[in-house]
Amino acid sequence: MSIIEVKALTKTYNETMVPVHALNGIDLAFQKGEFTAIVGPSGCGKTTLLNMIGGLDQPTSGKVMIDARDITVMPSGKLVDFRLHNIGFIFQSYNLIPVLTVKENVEFIMELQHTSRKDREERARYLLDEMGLRDKMNVRPKYLSGGQQQRVAVARALASKPIFVLADEPTANLDSKSADTLLEMMAELNRKEEMTFIFSTHDQRVMDKARRLVTLEDGKVISDQQTEKHYAQALH
Amino acid sequence: MLVRIAWRNIWRNKTRSLVIITAVVVGLWGGIFADAFMQGMTEQQIFTTIHTETGHIQLNDSGFLLNHDIQLQVHNADSVVAALASIPGVQAVAASFQMSAMASTASSSAALLVNGITPKTAARVSDIASKLVQGDYFKSDRQNLVLIGQQLAEKLKVKLHARIVLTLQTTEGDIIYGAFRVEGIYKTHNSDFDKETVYVREKDLQNLIHFPGGAATVITVLLHRDKDTKGIADIAEQKFPSLQVQTWTELSPMLQLLSGTIRQMTVIFVAIILIALAFGIVNTMLMAVMERTREIGMLLSVGMKPSRVFGMILLETVFLSLTGAVIGVLISIATVYWFGKHGINLSIIAEGINALGYSSIVYPTLGAEFYGILALMVIFIAVIAGLFPARRAVRLKPAEAVRGE
Ligand SMILES: Nc1ncnc2c1ncn2[C@@H]1O[C@H](COP(=O)(O)OP(=O)(O)O)[C@@H](O)[C@H]1O
Ligand SMILES: [Mg+2]
Repeated sequence: MSIIEVKALTKTYNETMVPVHALNGIDLAFQKGEFTAIVGPSGCGKTTLLNMIGGLDQPTSGKVMIDARDITVMPSGKLVDFRLHNIGFIFQSYNLIPVLTVKENVEFIMELQHTSRKDREERARYLLDEMGLRDKMNVRPKYLSGGQQQRVAVARALASKPIFVLADEPTANLDSKSADTLLEMMAELNRKEEMTFIFSTHDQRVMDKARRLVTLEDGKVISDQQTEKHYAQALH
Repeated sequence: MLVRIAWRNIWRNKTRSLVIITAVVVGLWGGIFADAFMQGMTEQQIFTTIHTETGHIQLNDSGFLLNHDIQLQVHNADSVVAALASIPGVQAVAASFQMSAMASTASSSAALLVNGITPKTAARVSDIASKLVQGDYFKSDRQNLVLIGQQLAEKLKVKLHARIVLTLQTTEGDIIYGAFRVEGIYKTHNSDFDKETVYVREKDLQNLIHFPGGAATVITVLLHRDKDTKGIADIAEQKFPSLQVQTWTELSPMLQLLSGTIRQMTVIFVAIILIALAFGIVNTMLMAVMERTREIGMLLSVGMKPSRVFGMILLETVFLSLTGAVIGVLISIATVYWFGKHGINLSIIAEGINALGYSSIVYPTLGAEFYGILALMVIFIAVIAGLFPARRAVRLKPAEAVRGE
């Protein structure tokens, strides 16, 4: 069974003079352990789609089922809790709380979940270690490079033990080398922990790392393919 | 961790936070000091009134105070004095023969109250001797000496050692005149008192109006501590049911009223300052929330409950206000303490102050309970000031707040 099912999803922004049809009937399903890139030109609806899947915004019509629960009809109070416990988020920027250290940032989300102090500590250490940030645990985010900050964001997203992780253009502000490293590490977590990732990008090198490529245009899915290279890898 | 975040957030924009903290410090300092000053003036007025004019407690024959009828005497005053003096907490007791009279000179006359005192005993309950600006306190053995207030001296146009004539009523109801020599001129902080109170020796008065030996119309009690007043007055009432017992609050009701009013005014005064500061705090916090739109959006997105975000902003507001308040109060306590010890000399403008019944050196003071009320007010106002920015923060839509573009 799919962990995420998007059914006949549309989103029209009405705030503007001319209504913007950002999503025009999207049907998609995601399986556990997938490593999917949502691609397409700027303005095609990638961010809008990810916001709908993440329960950050309400669609105009259609459903988003996560673990067989329709999150589009959840009351907002419940939805906050649902996000906290089930979805990991990585944004393009402003991911971290500047007044907390790297480790505190990762622990913070677990504290919101009422995880015990000992488990928080342990998991934060483990994840930051995985992200190659062992020696940066006790510094504040502003002393890190953009790439390092995004790696903290990945650790933070995984800390809450979500069902899947959403990342909207996580590499948009990074140089290509940092972007490569970030994607390698995400791919590694995907293999090792079977963590499901859905990320958007318009960077060719990032797309190349994906195992599934969903292409949007004008709010519609125009292609959805398992990439050759990784398909082989996955079979193996 | 919410506490840690809120506290550290204050120091993100140091300049802005320091500006508002400084405003709170200066505002509170000014307010508290002004309050302490007013309070000090009032307490001093109470102190001098008690120690110069009324004592803590006075006993009279019932009805005497109505129109100073000298038939209404306390007999066996000596034994009453002795009994009162034995009550723990009593510092001194003195009996005197008080009555109304007229004073006249060649040019003027005035109605007044004559205090027939035994100078040595009376000095234990009243420090009038220390208020003399000219002459002496019954130093000479001559008969018919009188101490008068400076205001009265001016009104009667008499100088030291001049004579005035007192018109008195004897116990038999006859009118009698006595010539008195001005032995001293005093000046208290209370010009009304100075205008209408004179002191003579009790035995001189007795020679004129023939009241029995050992009789008095007023018995004045001075205590070690103000706060014992009520308790000791109750004891005195039980011991002497036939006498009227009055405390200084009853003898000078205006003073009591003033003291209560000042206490309320100090709180209102600081409250107004705090409300003015609250606007600055609201502004600072709104700016902080605006600046952090994306960060707050991120927090809401990843699953921080709006109620927690609300609490975080509220906590931040309280911390910001309390930091200023704590510093402001500490500085205030230090300055109030220092000036409370050394006093503030107002002699330059003392004329006006004296006329109002205040003394020219003020020792600011504030009760501990004032600081308690203040602490509650600061927290209360900070919470109110935080509500608006906090509501702003939780109204952010996560999807819009985090848009990367
Ligand atoms: N809040 C909004 N109000 C109006 N139009 C919006 C809003 N958000 C996005 N859009 C429009 O919706 C379309 C899809 O935007 P978006 O999902 O951000 O695309 P992408 O992330 O692929 O660049 C664009 O035309 C954009 O201008
Ligand atoms: Mg986008």
